[in-house]
Amino acid sequence: MKEYDVIIIGGGPAGLASAISAKDEGKDILLIEREVRLGGILKQCIHDGFGLLRFNEKLSGPEYAEKYIDIFNEKKIKALTLTFVTEIVKEENGFTVSVVNRDGVTNLHTKTVILATGCRERTARQIFIHGTRPSGIFTAGTAQAFVNIYGQKPTKKCIILGSGDIGLIMARRLTLEGAEVKGVYEAKPTPSGLTRNVHQCLNDYNIPLHLSHTVTRVFGNSRLTAVEVSRVDENMAPIKGTEQIIECDALILSVGLIPENELAETLGAKLNERTKGPVCDNLYMTSVDGLFSCGNALHVNDLVDYVSENAAEAGKAAANYIKSERKLLEFSVGENLLYIVPQSIELESDLSAVTVYFRSSGDFNGKKFTIKVNGDTVFEKKYAFLRPPEMEKLVIDMNKFNLNMNSRIEFSII
Amino acid sequence: MEEMVCIECPNGCVLTVENKDGEIIVGNYKCKKGITFAKTELLSPKRTISSIVRTVFPDIPVIPVRVSGDIPKDRIFDVIEEINQIRLDKRVGRGHIIIDNVLGLGVNIIATSSILINT
Amino acid sequence: MNIKKIQKRLNSSFDGKVTASYRDNSIVLEGELSSWDDIVKACYTAAKRYSKTHVVNDIKFTGAEIPKMRVPDFSDKSLEGSFWDVLIIGGGISGASIARELSKWELDVLLADKEPDLALQASGRNDGEIHPGVDLSKGSLKHRYVLLGNKMYESVCKELSVPFERRGQYVGFTQRWTFPFVVLYALKKKYIDDVTDTKIISRKNLIAAEGKINPNFKFALFNSSAACVCPYGITIAYAENAVSNGVKVSLGTAVTGMVVEDENIVSVSTNRGTIYPKLVINAAGVFSEDVAKMAGDRFFSIHPRKGTDSILDKKAGVLLNSIAAIKETALKRSHTKGGGVLHTVHGNLLIGPDALETYKKEDTATEPSSISKVFAKQKRTVPALTERDIITYFAGVRAPTFEEDFIIEAGRKTKNIIHCAGIQSPGLTCAPAIALDIEAKALEMLKKDGLVINENKSFNPIRKAIPALKEMAPKEREELIKKNPDYGVIVCRCEEISKGEILDALSSPISVPTVDGVKKRVRPGMGRCQGGFCMPLVIQIIADYLNIPMDEVKKSYDNSSVLFGDIKEKSKELL
Repeated sequence: MKEYDVIIIGGGPAGLASAISAKDEGKDILLIEREVRLGGILKQCIHDGFGLLRFNEKLSGPEYAEKYIDIFNEKKIKALTLTFVTEIVKEENGFTVSVVNRDGVTNLHTKTVILATGCRERTARQIFIHGTRPSGIFTAGTAQAFVNIYGQKPTKKCIILGSGDIGLIMARRLTLEGAEVKGVYEAKPTPSGLTRNVHQCLNDYNIPLHLSHTVTRVFGNSRLTAVEVSRVDENMAPIKGTEQIIECDALILSVGLIPENELAETLGAKLNERTKGPVCDNLYMTSVDGLFSCGNALHVNDLVDYVSENAAEAGKAAANYIKSERKLLEFSVGENLLYIVPQSIELESDLSAVTVYFRSSGDFNGKKFTIKVNGDTVFEKKYAFLRPPEMEKLVIDMNKFNLNMNSRIEFSII
Repeated sequence: MEEMVCIECPNGCVLTVENKDGEIIVGNYKCKKGITFAKTELLSPKRTISSIVRTVFPDIPVIPVRVSGDIPKDRIFDVIEEINQIRLDKRVGRGHIIIDNVLGLGVNIIATSSILINT
Repeated sequence: MNIKKIQKRLNSSFDGKVTASYRDNSIVLEGELSSWDDIVKACYTAAKRYSKTHVVNDIKFTGAEIPKMRVPDFSDKSLEGSFWDVLIIGGGISGASIARELSKWELDVLLADKEPDLALQASGRNDGEIHPGVDLSKGSLKHRYVLLGNKMYESVCKELSVPFERRGQYVGFTQRWTFPFVVLYALKKKYIDDVTDTKIISRKNLIAAEGKINPNFKFALFNSSAACVCPYGITIAYAENAVSNGVKVSLGTAVTGMVVEDENIVSVSTNRGTIYPKLVINAAGVFSEDVAKMAGDRFFSIHPRKGTDSILDKKAGVLLNSIAAIKETALKRSHTKGGGVLHTVHGNLLIGPDALETYKKEDTATEPSSISKVFAKQKRTVPALTERDIITYFAGVRAPTFEEDFIIEAGRKTKNIIHCAGIQSPGLTCAPAIALDIEAKALEMLKKDGLVINENKSFNPIRKAIPALKEMAPKEREELIKKNPDYGVIVCRCEEISKGEILDALSSPISVPTVDGVKKRVRPGMGRCQGGFCMPLVIQIIADYLNIPMDEVKKSYDNSSVLFGDIKEKSKELL
């Protein structure tokens, strides 16, 4: 059986960055990708805006990905493409990873595994859209693949449900390619995507954004012919009598992303209710020893730059992993905080620069991100505004906090 | 005083813009890009656009492209129309100029992927 | 019940708006009502459960327009002027199983269905339970066939290579005081109604078997013969085996009329030409009354009854290994159990169905209220169920008569028709047994007409299934991939389906090269992402296989294209 130090599952931005940093530690690593090409979902994200933090450049998704792929290739990192992981089994000294590809079924052994499997989109059924089952209901990502990879028109006249970033981006993409986007509907009272995307993708093209509205029914036996939209109340329940029928040939959904964690779950990794990804420590190790997670599989990031960054840290940590007793101190999530990643720190690790990512649970102006240890405020940072769609990142020196296993460390926005 | 969302970076600052005796005063920005953005946005708004071009290769039917620099907002659809005409028959790589100085706007349409040569 | 008594009862409810009369040994109701529920109620008033004297509903419904049967929007002459020994109308489980049994004989058999695939109506839209028959009593056809059918399923599924699992069914009771009554009921089932596997199990044994079941269950009725099968899988398998043995299946073929002379069907018109069958088998589900009418043999009525089921992520599969439902005496007796929870052969949980009367025979649109009601009830069967685990839901329309029993008999007036009508739960369970009886009946009728029928010497009862690589041992999988590397290319990540399996579906005996056709056969898109990732790949594989552009690939129906063509249609060659 082949033996590796690190096996990385997923060849998107997270997998690439973690592979490169793990390789830099001089270890024997392998990346497994189920598609023909590396790059993950960035291959179809042809719009610009990637890499501002990382490269100080406005790159398109493919450019960003290929910069990493070039480094990956230069470093002669081993990759198996068009290869699918069917099972991972935890063993005394690592993991056995079973893969299938055109060559057959292979078992590989590794000391550590990094899950860089990205996320998937919520579907029409998961948000309880009812009515018939015609063709013409697409998630935004599927529509994006049809347009940008296959050069095919998925719609001539559509509405978009959900104001997540991919939905907004697709509103602009479809408009540029000649389709009519009759409107973007969002059940929440505020947009889910970045403010700049509302402006440059909708306002620039006079695409109306209808907040507090949702799609309640679809029509059509073969191809979609119309949708019914309704206003929703503060609990996002449709209000009777506000139904409106809109004729269109497609309904495009941008209603949320869910980290892909089926492999993590089969290994018994604990998941976080809020992030829907595995809980991890500051080394990106999950509750399973030797199993790491990064990128959108860990929690859905709004910027690929952050994905690359935490993946690189995960890669380094996995490469240097030595089995030992873990001394984890768990974080408490206090008021106004939706979530924080990581959820704990390894007290034996270097705590001089701990990266934390967080989202607020609501829109706040002028509040402070605060860390309390045993009730005393040890860190605070004021933010002019905080919104749930906009993830924040901080690097904090936690050595100063003098933490031990009995410390109580709480994060909040006050 | 007007409010304006800066689209230069994901921060999406809500800028304040004021015309004081012909001089444009920008406020509420986190970085200098905000000032430039607000001024340009008032005088002649500019945007970056991305699209795809058709190829003659069945394995890769389209490749992604973008403009090499900002173009006037009101010329977006003219530029798209130019991109729509292209049928690429050479296997070119990332950065390759597909349309030179598109519509005389001083920017090029460039390929943003090397999938045609790295297959 | 005599007609005067029926009339009297109708008058008390409907104020003289409905009249009843005996005609040709059926009870015909006439009049006008604006509420469909009232029409159903009136017909039930006149009907006797399991009676062979059927209610024919001629009450005019003024409340809304009853939608016309959806027919394919194309026509051709591919069947024009063809002669057949047997025409089977309907490609559900009934039609498909009958076709397969008839393929044992040297007969020209045509199975026609108006839909673009088999099992697109009730047969593909049910929970897939193979019932033990514990809710049925002696004297009905349902009871007779459910016991026979249930016993046949193992061997049928083995021959047809269809996954089949006997998981057993628990009906849990929360009220301790009902215990003596349930004991008596169980004894009656076991010793009088021949449902011999019926037994009562204690709470302790129930919890030991199903740890996540409602802890408030005091005891349960258990039938070990209850089983699960994939309902469209078995239908397709039956039809494929029939085709391999010489039957012709013509999809997208709607029967639109018949010429009947001297109580004999002479010809049948379809959108693909007029055909001349010696014998017609009516297995048309919700449209079986319409077919009977065309044949001049309408002696029963169908009242469509809709049911909705939800499918839960495989993650939820751990909540229940078998089939379970809750029974409480306070719950109103309705026509079905009000649904249950079932662990499918694919490892998902299925919740449902409910039962709603409707005048729309093809209304498979789903409603939020159906899902929430069924969930509210079934959370009392398995408390840990959550709507958040739902990956999809679907509705189907059952085809019951008002007597709530099957009609398995030759025409009463028309001589060359056999009806297989009024089929509803447990129709899937009964199908293998019904098919044998209809086969015998058909042979008898054809022979009476002077036809000499020989055995089909090349009949092979075994259907080879498309390999399911995910289920295989690594070694076996490895060997298949070595032979065909496409089996190693995973297209659908949720269900782990390879390109090889998809290509196998496309070259199967009844190839339906649509997104849904492939999905029904080998499951890409059936998982938690519902095809978000694999749909473009599946479309491309179909397009390549048929050598057509991607935008010509359909989801299912003829005008259900997924794509509208080249986005850069204006592009031209650069010089």
